[in-house]
Amino acid sequence: MNTFYSSFHISVQDGFSAGVSGCTLLERGGKTRCNFQDLGVNTRETMAHVKDCKTGFSGIPVKVITNLYSLGLPREWQLYQYHVTFNPELESRRLRLALLYSHTELLGKAKAFDGAILFLSQKLENQVTELTSVTKRGETVNITITLTNQLASSSPVCIQFFNIIFKKVLKKLSMYQVGRNFYSPSDPVEIPQHKLTLWPGFAVSITQFENRVMLSADVSHKVLRSETVLEFMTSLYTRTDSACFIQTCEKELVGLIVLTRYNNKTYRIDDIDWCVKPTDTFPKRDGTEISYVDYYNQQYDIVLTDLNQPMLVSRLKSKQNSTVEPRVVHLIPELCYLTGLTSRAISDFRLMKDLAQEMHLNPEQRQQRLSRLVDNIQRIKEARLELEMWGLQLGCQVSLTGRVVPTEKILMQEQICLPMSAGDWSKDMRNMKIIGVQPLDNWLMLCSNRNGELAENLLNCLKRVGGPMGFHIEYPRILQVQESPMAFLRAVQQHVNPEVQLVMCILSSNQKDCYDSIKKFLSLDRPVPSQCVLARTLNKQGMMMSVATKIAMQIICKLGGELWAVEIPLKSLMVIGIDVNKDALNKGSSVVGFVASTNSKITRWFSRCILQNTGTDIADCLKVCMKGAISKWHKYNCELPARIIVYRDGVADGQLKMVVDYEVPQLLSVLTELTTNYSPKVSVIVVRKRCIPRFFAEANRSLQNPPVGTIVDTEATRPEWYDFYLISQLARQGTVNPTYYNVVYDNSGLKPDHMQRLTYKMCHLYYNWPVSK
Amino acid sequence: MKTGSHLNLLNYEVSITENNKLIEFVVKMFQKHNLFLIFSVDCMMDTNLQKDDLTGTIKFIPPLYKQRYQFIKDLVIKYKPKKVADLGCADCTLLWMLKFCKCIEVLAGLDIRENVMKEKMHRLSPLPADYLQPSERSLTVTLHHGSVAHKDPCMLGFDLVTCIELIEHLEAAELEKFPEVVFGFMAPAMVVISTPNSEFNPLLPGVTLFRHSDHKFEWDRAQFQSWAVAAATSYDYTVEFTGLGTSPPGTEDVGFCTQIGVFVRKYPKNGETVNSEKHTEHAYKTVFKAVYPSLKDEKYLQNAVVSEVLFGADIIKRRLLGNFKSEWKDHRDGLETKFKFQPFKYFMRRSKNLPLAETEKLAADRSTEPFIDGNTVYIPLAKIFSIPKVNQLCGTFEKLSKLIAGKVALSNDGSAVIVTIEYENEEQEN
Repeated sequence: MNTFYSSFHISVQDGFSAGVSGCTLLERGGKTRCNFQDLGVNTRETMAHVKDCKTGFSGIPVKVITNLYSLGLPREWQLYQYHVTFNPELESRRLRLALLYSHTELLGKAKAFDGAILFLSQKLENQVTELTSVTKRGETVNITITLTNQLASSSPVCIQFFNIIFKKVLKKLSMYQVGRNFYSPSDPVEIPQHKLTLWPGFAVSITQFENRVMLSADVSHKVLRSETVLEFMTSLYTRTDSACFIQTCEKELVGLIVLTRYNNKTYRIDDIDWCVKPTDTFPKRDGTEISYVDYYNQQYDIVLTDLNQPMLVSRLKSKQNSTVEPRVVHLIPELCYLTGLTSRAISDFRLMKDLAQEMHLNPEQRQQRLSRLVDNIQRIKEARLELEMWGLQLGCQVSLTGRVVPTEKILMQEQICLPMSAGDWSKDMRNMKIIGVQPLDNWLMLCSNRNGELAENLLNCLKRVGGPMGFHIEYPRILQVQESPMAFLRAVQQHVNPEVQLVMCILSSNQKDCYDSIKKFLSLDRPVPSQCVLARTLNKQGMMMSVATKIAMQIICKLGGELWAVEIPLKSLMVIGIDVNKDALNKGSSVVGFVASTNSKITRWFSRCILQNTGTDIADCLKVCMKGAISKWHKYNCELPARIIVYRDGVADGQLKMVVDYEVPQLLSVLTELTTNYSPKVSVIVVRKRCIPRFFAEANRSLQNPPVGTIVDTEATRPEWYDFYLISQLARQGTVNPTYYNVVYDNSGLKPDHMQRLTYKMCHLYYNWPVSK
Repeated sequence: MKTGSHLNLLNYEVSITENNKLIEFVVKMFQKHNLFLIFSVDCMMDTNLQKDDLTGTIKFIPPLYKQRYQFIKDLVIKYKPKKVADLGCADCTLLWMLKFCKCIEVLAGLDIRENVMKEKMHRLSPLPADYLQPSERSLTVTLHHGSVAHKDPCMLGFDLVTCIELIEHLEAAELEKFPEVVFGFMAPAMVVISTPNSEFNPLLPGVTLFRHSDHKFEWDRAQFQSWAVAAATSYDYTVEFTGLGTSPPGTEDVGFCTQIGVFVRKYPKNGETVNSEKHTEHAYKTVFKAVYPSLKDEKYLQNAVVSEVLFGADIIKRRLLGNFKSEWKDHRDGLETKFKFQPFKYFMRRSKNLPLAETEKLAADRSTEPFIDGNTVYIPLAKIFSIPKVNQLCGTFEKLSKLIAGKVALSNDGSAVIVTIEYENEEQEN
């Protein structure tokens, strides 16, 4: 979700934790995965019906400008890969480099050599070239250079090579790499009231797109705290109860990435060691012991001021395939800076608002930043030369033609709603009855003594908006309790019985503990639907009716009601949605969410949520979910679904192969094992809410977000995949993030156009909001 | 030049017969000084070993190159030079170590091999974290590609010039020009020159002629010292000799493995202007330059001051509103009526109820105490200036006013920082 209208949504429902996925805030610094572009997964060739054409046709053509740039490569451009051997063998890489590079005249100009593999932009005359060098010691060394590969610009090796070249280019522009992206710390944006610093920067990568290799560039911001971890801890100490300080501190810090004052590395905080002090000693590499204080003083002329601070503990990632125990380092809080945001910061409405103000760039601002980057690359000689040497040049920004597909009709109980804008139909459906929901007869409303009036007010509004929607709301039992999380929980424990349909809580503050304990009790101990609302939300003058409408809709969904539907031309279609998230704190476990439709209108759902160890394969629990969904469908429809479409979210970069090779076959096996002769038509679509391309539409001589319903299925797509981009949400602030759909398996024979339209229809069924998502 | 302590330590007589005692001693001395020589277990078996038996077993811990760098670092810590140049800086390791020394404001490196210099030069760039809290001192690191046989004005005005294992790589013609360039032209306050002591070579494994194939010569102590004394004399420097890497007991007569000359200029520092007139043509090519973010740079100072001011103002505002709200709450708890949070009215009412003298006092307080008027919090600059960090960064009130002008919202008369209160998003009380 990249637009900020969600801020409201955050405060209404269970959004204390939701709302920021998708923006680069949470990005983790760290090691680059080797195959984050998912190279080598060629799924399109397995689907005969899209081999020749994977584009749709419906809708009105629209010209969109992308954040992609051509590299100006001639068609015949090739990279020559050589293997270099030295006889006698040389230990020193530097010497190998020096000896080879001394033959400059022979090798031409552009070359990259890592000590064994040599890349050249021009081919040598012979397959095998023999050279002789004399070392300064007078030793004769024979060098053999053998051609091993001629690489086209689209080859994975070449793509990786280009990415390395562009890293060098960005370094030449005085940018720093943090994680995968590059930032300019010399032009920081300060948010002093929250002690935050934003570094503007770019995410740049080279990818083989549909027809050619292109550079994609997007604006990125690195969020850092402009205070040390020690200062952070000190201020946390003054704000929290000292009895639970250690616990709070660990909760805040563990999992975050820190930057140190003395080297260019980032570390993940895995633990805090409260027993080790800076005056304690550690063994240096040569075996001698030295205290932390002395070490930093001698090595970096740094004088530690607080000799009682605890130590941050970080486990270093062991080198690949290494069986050695991962090394653990102790870091001094005083010498570390936090990157990213703490959970407390994320739940701080004001902070997130101030942050969004700086980070959300509209298309015009984004375009300006991109232009400046491209301009710098072309203008700064060292950067440009780095490219020219290899026959590369940064070409012009690519524009392409997308299509705006027709607005979907929204089917209400008696009427059909034709939204003016596909982005928001809340106005259009006013006074229309929703499809159906049971009346809310037996429910509880909890609030603190102070908020009694707010509760009454909300209740009146709910009743007023409920009527026209066709949602009957009875007067609830209202409980006024003390202003404390414990009081809320006690009231819930005392008064909730299985007959209660819903518990509504009006919370005074954004206290996660209170919310968590209520939700935990009502999800695990006594499962009853619950709705939490912040008092703050109800204080907004003139907003009450729209707030109440949204709350009413959420309640309807929680009671199992149906709000609206869209026309689904396919009969007996089951739609499945899957999302997988890693637990931020406990890296060892992930949460799998699974929903499957149980009626052909696609308004009723079966859902499962499974917590599981990352070590175990997700596919195993998907099988369990899938079986449950099919049997539910059978129960309600007395038949098995003829078609199944799976939307799989939560696939990280580089995980595509795992989904294709393992998860998809496992899901299919459930179906074949079910009964003989059952072979439904199945499509599996990997969904990515974060993707590289951005699209801008030109209007009134300025750039704007393309209209909702824009589909892009050319140029910015990948040739080896059956993929398309869809803009399904309205961005009121900032630049819209297109959603990327990659159909990795499809035996349905559905035309690409139908697949795209169906996907767009599904976007309208996000019940939290009368908008397409 | 007071390097006596080094000399004493390194010439320490070791005469111990029991092996474990020797080990104990070596470890102790090493821990204490980080400078020592030990040799492998084989040779510890018998302290009366012949020279021949020792070859192949000598090992310096820490490695001699590290000891040389540490020697320079110790000098820097002792004499606190501001401008330091390393001639023949190779892969910039020494420069990298020195960049952490807080006294240094200018670091320069010079080498004839551009590629070697470029290999790891990025280590000399500021770290990302340097930008988060810019340091008090300024630091500029520059690397030049060129020869020590050429003069370039960029090397003028230095306090310390180091030439670690450099001169033995020079051709005869270059060596001839070297003293004029370094002592005559650059004329820094102090020069340190280290070079191999050829008398030590028989103790080193595998060394036939020179220790490195690129060495054009290796001098014994007498050769080095006579060259050094001659150079010092003709350019008005004093020189003292020391070294690093002592030989095993019984072979002390060969001297240190590395011999070092520390030259100190006799005459007081000349004005830089005089020097730069001597020669203005640039002979070196700049291959790298990094300017570290520093509070000496107006841009970073302003950034830091504005951040502190806004942070401080935000705290004052919250404190003020916090008081306000709690007073308001007490008030409200007593009454059964409902009314909206209206600070302005509250302020007015409070002022009205005060006796006249009190009101006047309040008015006087306005010059230093923050107050609320309508939707705006006024925090007088005097109050802001009293925030320790702001005070420390700015030094003077005038500087504060100048730095925040145009960056921080001020009242019409410019006497107070103003912060608007956002009621909609006002935080809830617990």
